[in-house]
Amino acid sequence: MADRPGFLVEQRGTRRDLGAFIVAARFDRAGSLLAFALGDGTLRLVDPADAATWREVAVHDGAVLALAPDTVPGGFVSGGDDGRARRISGDATMSDLGVFGMKWVEQVATHPAERNKGLIACGVGKLVHLFDAEGKKLRELEHPSTVTGLGFDAKGKRVGTSHYNGATVWFVASDSPRRLEWKGSHIGLALHPEGEAVVTAMQENALHGWALPDGKHMRMSGYPGKTHSMSFSRGGKWLASSGSDAMVLWPFFGGGPMGKAPSELAGGDGITCTQVTFHPQQDIVAGGFADGLVVVADVASSRIVPIMPPGGSPVSALAWSQDGGFLAIGTEAGTAGLVDFRARAA
Amino acid sequence: MSQATSDPSYQVPVTVLTGYLGAGKTTLLNRILSENHGRKYAVIINEFGELGVDNDLVVDSDEEVFEMNNGCVCCTVRGDLIRIVGGLMKRRDRFDGIIIETTGLANPAPVAQTFFVDEGVRAKTRLDAVVTVVDAKHVLQRLDDSHEAADQIAFADVIVLNKTDLVTEAELKVVEERIRKINRFAVIHRTERAALPIADVLDRGAFDLGRVLETAPDFLSGADEHEHNEDVTSVSFEVEKPIDPEKFNMWIGMLLQEKGADLLRTKGILAYQNEDRRFAFQAVHMIADGDFIGKWKDGEPRVSKIVFIGRDLNRPQLRRGFEACQVG
Repeated sequence: MADRPGFLVEQRGTRRDLGAFIVAARFDRAGSLLAFALGDGTLRLVDPADAATWREVAVHDGAVLALAPDTVPGGFVSGGDDGRARRISGDATMSDLGVFGMKWVEQVATHPAERNKGLIACGVGKLVHLFDAEGKKLRELEHPSTVTGLGFDAKGKRVGTSHYNGATVWFVASDSPRRLEWKGSHIGLALHPEGEAVVTAMQENALHGWALPDGKHMRMSGYPGKTHSMSFSRGGKWLASSGSDAMVLWPFFGGGPMGKAPSELAGGDGITCTQVTFHPQQDIVAGGFADGLVVVADVASSRIVPIMPPGGSPVSALAWSQDGGFLAIGTEAGTAGLVDFRARAA
Repeated sequence: MSQATSDPSYQVPVTVLTGYLGAGKTTLLNRILSENHGRKYAVIINEFGELGVDNDLVVDSDEEVFEMNNGCVCCTVRGDLIRIVGGLMKRRDRFDGIIIETTGLANPAPVAQTFFVDEGVRAKTRLDAVVTVVDAKHVLQRLDDSHEAADQIAFADVIVLNKTDLVTEAELKVVEERIRKINRFAVIHRTERAALPIADVLDRGAFDLGRVLETAPDFLSGADEHEHNEDVTSVSFEVEKPIDPEKFNMWIGMLLQEKGADLLRTKGILAYQNEDRRFAFQAVHMIADGDFIGKWKDGEPRVSKIVFIGRDLNRPQLRRGFEACQVG
């Protein structure tokens, strides 16, 4: 089937069939290497500026479940259903960060080694294992149930987790966690980049939030389905979320999100939004849908740019490079997309 | 032939294995896995027994139950299963079915309800059957000293009555009678060392609405013969006049809301007025599901049937309620 004109992947991008469920896509810390994590246990590595050469690296015996850029440029950290957390460098050398038996490594998060030393966290069942940039284990953080969401704050001082009956914010260097309670099953986590809020996705098709530091509750409901993907804009003004037939954006300014209606972008055709991710610098958000459609929307003007046409399979991964120059796309059926947003030389 | 497929609309069948520790669950599981059927199974276990599970794809999971905030007080769900099924779907071409082994003391309701309640799990899998392994020698004692043993029998679509070599024929009859008082509708297979044809356990389609009640024996022997000393019992009714859907929905909705905690399983096949198709209905506690299935056959009596398995069942009240749903 011929693509309709006007999809950016045709003019400024590339598509490739990788042959297995794409679980995640991530750029390394320098933005010079892109990795797709697949359900067949491999990573597919490609230089975004030269998408001609793709390398396949077998990393996990099973599915890759989580992927993050390593603390330094040129590598990645992955978690798999073989119970391993591994570090993979650009030349495809690998090492085990941790081996956890039959438990799945479902969550991985990293903080870059810049001003401080860099941190790696892995969620394995009820435990979060915290490592330094050298891979030395620092601490184990224990939770009442399996950790379903994991992330560092912008400064790498705190680690947030979601689990049954709420969320927990740990100080990396202290043993007194902040427990944020709300009854029910919390299935995902987003940390406000300025530390002003913690938001979780819930089993009952709603988001729950706690304003920080006072812990005031925020409830964001009305979703027809579960939210599997959330993303804050750079300054934390907006929280984008999946789970409806549009990208749902909650305002975290002017007293919001409580008592404010969310903005809905790229909706109206009844197809569920499955992935969202904010541009790292501007108030521009990319959204993927259950039919494979990918769009990018400018929040201020609501202008929509079509990126990838519907191909039948749900979008399961989206990632911007750190400078916003590239957008990577993955679908459940294994179609990878890469779009170049950089200004072109005259 | 392997049926592994990447067809996204294919629903992976799920078999739930329950039974007390020592009843022979793991023996049965290893028999299923080692038999030369050419199929591959993902196995989810919640405890390491003395016997290892011999399979390529074994997932160790903590049984993590939570209450849904949906107004149903007894709607408990296994969040770990939702997560693991989601994870397994990332490699769905690697297996044909999923087998969940529960811990010996587990209540089967949260497992079953997970397959009704979660949209993602519902879309990608179908609950095939609850198989309960029962130790013929010790089950009577278990029934006397625990709730769970009765719950596991009540939830069963298939009962594997194991270790029959350790009891006499007379003792076996007593055990079967006791099981029948709790659950008249499950198929019972007598086994030694959990040996039985795999087809008796897998691909039963017991939760398939189209097969609801298909295997229910003794439907007409509704005589009230059971004494009221059993905690969990089963009752069934049938009516010959067509059912008024509005009346039925009103009645069953109220009933499940009020008595759902005591009603472990409810199944029905209904003949609606002015409708050529059969309506199949089933519920686990308060969580219900229903749909039209195939047409009534020509000449087949259009009799509506309903079955309740649960605690403190008020038989006359249930009968009157169901009878009042008839077009009148």
